[in-house]
Amino acid sequence: MRVHLTSPWIPAEWVRAHGLEARGIWFADKFRQDTPPLAGGVCAFAESVVRFAETQPDSAVVLTTACDQLQRGFDAAAFRGSARVFLFNLPATQTPVARQIYRAELARLGQFLLALGGTAPAPEMLRQEMAQSDEARRRLREAAPPAAARSYAESVARFHTDGNFAAPAVCTPTAPAALALVGGPLGAKDWKLFDTIEAAGGRVVLNATLTGERSLCPTFDRSAGLPPALAAASRQDADEPEPFDALVAGYIDNLVDVFQRPNTRLYAWLKPRLLARQVRGIVLWHFTGCDLWRAEWQTLREVSGRPVLLLEADEAAGISPRDTNRLQAFVEMIKQPWPRQAN
Amino acid sequence: MATPSKLNLTQWDDRYAELRRDGLREPAYGGPLRRHVEQEKDFRLEQLQFDNSPAALRLWNFLLTENERLRQARARGEKIVGAMKDLGTVPVMAYALPGLRAFYPDGAWWTPCLMEGSDRLLQQAEALGIDASFCPVRAMLPAFQNGGHFPLPDLLLCSTGAVCDDFSAIAQRLEHLGHAILWWEMPRRRAPAAGETACALPGNLTAPKIQVDCVRAELQRVGQVLGQLAGKDLDDALLTDGIRAANHVRRLLAELRQTVYAAPRAPLPALELLVAEMLALHFCSDREECIAVLEDLLAEARARVWQNQFVSGAEAVRIFWVNPVADLRAMNLLEDLGGRICGSDFMFTHALDLIPEDLPPLEALARSALADPMAGPATDRAARIVRECRANGVEAVVVSRIPGASHCAREGEIIREIVRQTIGLPAIELEIPPVCDALLPTLASRLQALVETARAKRTK
Repeated sequence: MRVHLTSPWIPAEWVRAHGLEARGIWFADKFRQDTPPLAGGVCAFAESVVRFAETQPDSAVVLTTACDQLQRGFDAAAFRGSARVFLFNLPATQTPVARQIYRAELARLGQFLLALGGTAPAPEMLRQEMAQSDEARRRLREAAPPAAARSYAESVARFHTDGNFAAPAVCTPTAPAALALVGGPLGAKDWKLFDTIEAAGGRVVLNATLTGERSLCPTFDRSAGLPPALAAASRQDADEPEPFDALVAGYIDNLVDVFQRPNTRLYAWLKPRLLARQVRGIVLWHFTGCDLWRAEWQTLREVSGRPVLLLEADEAAGISPRDTNRLQAFVEMIKQPWPRQAN
Repeated sequence: MATPSKLNLTQWDDRYAELRRDGLREPAYGGPLRRHVEQEKDFRLEQLQFDNSPAALRLWNFLLTENERLRQARARGEKIVGAMKDLGTVPVMAYALPGLRAFYPDGAWWTPCLMEGSDRLLQQAEALGIDASFCPVRAMLPAFQNGGHFPLPDLLLCSTGAVCDDFSAIAQRLEHLGHAILWWEMPRRRAPAAGETACALPGNLTAPKIQVDCVRAELQRVGQVLGQLAGKDLDDALLTDGIRAANHVRRLLAELRQTVYAAPRAPLPALELLVAEMLALHFCSDREECIAVLEDLLAEARARVWQNQFVSGAEAVRIFWVNPVADLRAMNLLEDLGGRICGSDFMFTHALDLIPEDLPPLEALARSALADPMAGPATDRAARIVRECRANGVEAVVVSRIPGASHCAREGEIIREIVRQTIGLPAIELEIPPVCDALLPTLASRLQALVETARAKRTK
């Protein structure tokens, strides 16, 4: 059974430890395959998730409460009778209660996975999955700065598909227009965007979309080094597998996303990278109807001190001629020195 | 008692003079409705039809003087709390403490309507980065920035998590602009799974105990901060009294709704009923006066029913209205076209339900907060709508979309479908912008079609 995840903040390790296949939905072959007519105000990404859940009976889909569109999309899918859908309550705050919610949701997801035919996760299996993904994430994070944008996106996609590391190609650092790509999910069908940017003379040096480098933030404090007695004492529930606490902490403490309140972590993550990679302009990628990202446009400009181009994705995958034109103009502009560059 | 009727603002000028001649006694915030146009630029009042009773006059004056009353409270040394998004929970806590007055800055969403856009709040919101793709609650943002509407709160709280994206995004922008916010987590309500301890919530809902525990812990955190602001701990005794007082308001509203819905014709207009319901949220910044206003309205409605005097015709179609309207005029329009309100879900049904008084107060409040229709699935909301439609003999349902609101994109379809499937009522969805004049012909024809369809069903 394949379990498609709509957020990188749902541990694929947890799914795999249950003996099921975890997949990032953004890279699934049949995801966003057609261009459905959308009702007014409906986000194309959320609608595609709902349609995928309805048309892929051999798969399960885990949606989250990270945005209204997915949350309400779950309502629509459940209302239409999709049985293999799960809504994961991703807390927005960074409080003890948020941690408690996340922890409880993981346990509930575990029950869902068991109902799908999964097996109860053995601690050793979970530990192995965590170690493998932690290592893959670390290598991908390290590989990010010099990587060619499209190749890097492919490597991250590979990680979200099978949990493995694949080295991205290194680019030749010639383009003067270094760009950051920030925003929501950028699926395989949207990768043409990288080519368009490069054809215009720019280069994405920071992929901070939901499916880029930012998705690699979870990291585990492998106090697997803890003596067993201490590790056991730190557990709250004797029935939980030993590394469960580390899994919870590794995700909830490192989640970096726009829906968090306050979303200061997002900017704390972005700012040093924008500086280190000498980013001169930002492309803000979001789906039509995504209030959370759209509302950040001006804040992003103010915080980064860099020009921001708002790029809207809709039901048709790829990039429109109009947006290609806008991108070309934007790249042309940022090749010039930006007078208000702030650090 | 004058025969019930609806008056425009000019007619109300005469009516006010007549009432004064007859010895009308008003509270400190009283006066002719006209002054809100002249002093506050509430131009929309010139397009509305109002109930002609002194009780309605008091209601409108109470509503339209809120900012002024808040400023007076601050001048007296009271602390102002801005509660955002939870619609009905934090104010219960704030008013339980001496010297605190809570209000919802969210209410600024009606300002562009009332001022017919003359305030330019929506354009200013756009300049602050929040454009027309967002719900009109974006008017709140420049209202904070220019300080020309409500006073800036001493403490700003916002529920987050299972809330609409528009509000969450706008509030985040507000914080970036320098207004510190205490965020508190509202989990997405779900049904208890097998083996989980279930807790009953108001509104015939249930939630797992773990969710109630989480909300209670968050409200405890909120209570501590409120206590610090008031200089007094919010203990169980104070909160119990606060819940009792809030429930007094909710009981009055329940009686008012029931009196109006159960009557053979409408004893009060839909617009006044909508405004009255809104008082439940934060008592329009004065809990005691709110009770007096509602008691007056209830007395008026009962007297009219007793005397068989109504504002709607006998043939009026019984309508259930879903979501608040960005333009108040839509409520008049519905009645002009032969409808009457016999049920409503203005997105805060949890603020109308009684808070349990047989539980520890914070637990009771947590359960009440979790019953928020916006925190749970649309199917829960639809189930309540169906129940109330059945109970009140509703003949048709209007789902009113809020322009730009992220939750409206999906929930309307689900609600309409469930209403159709379970009780076979005609239902339409329409979008009402803050000033709907340009859309009146379209809105009117859609509402007219609904009313006619419902009437046609009577004869079958």
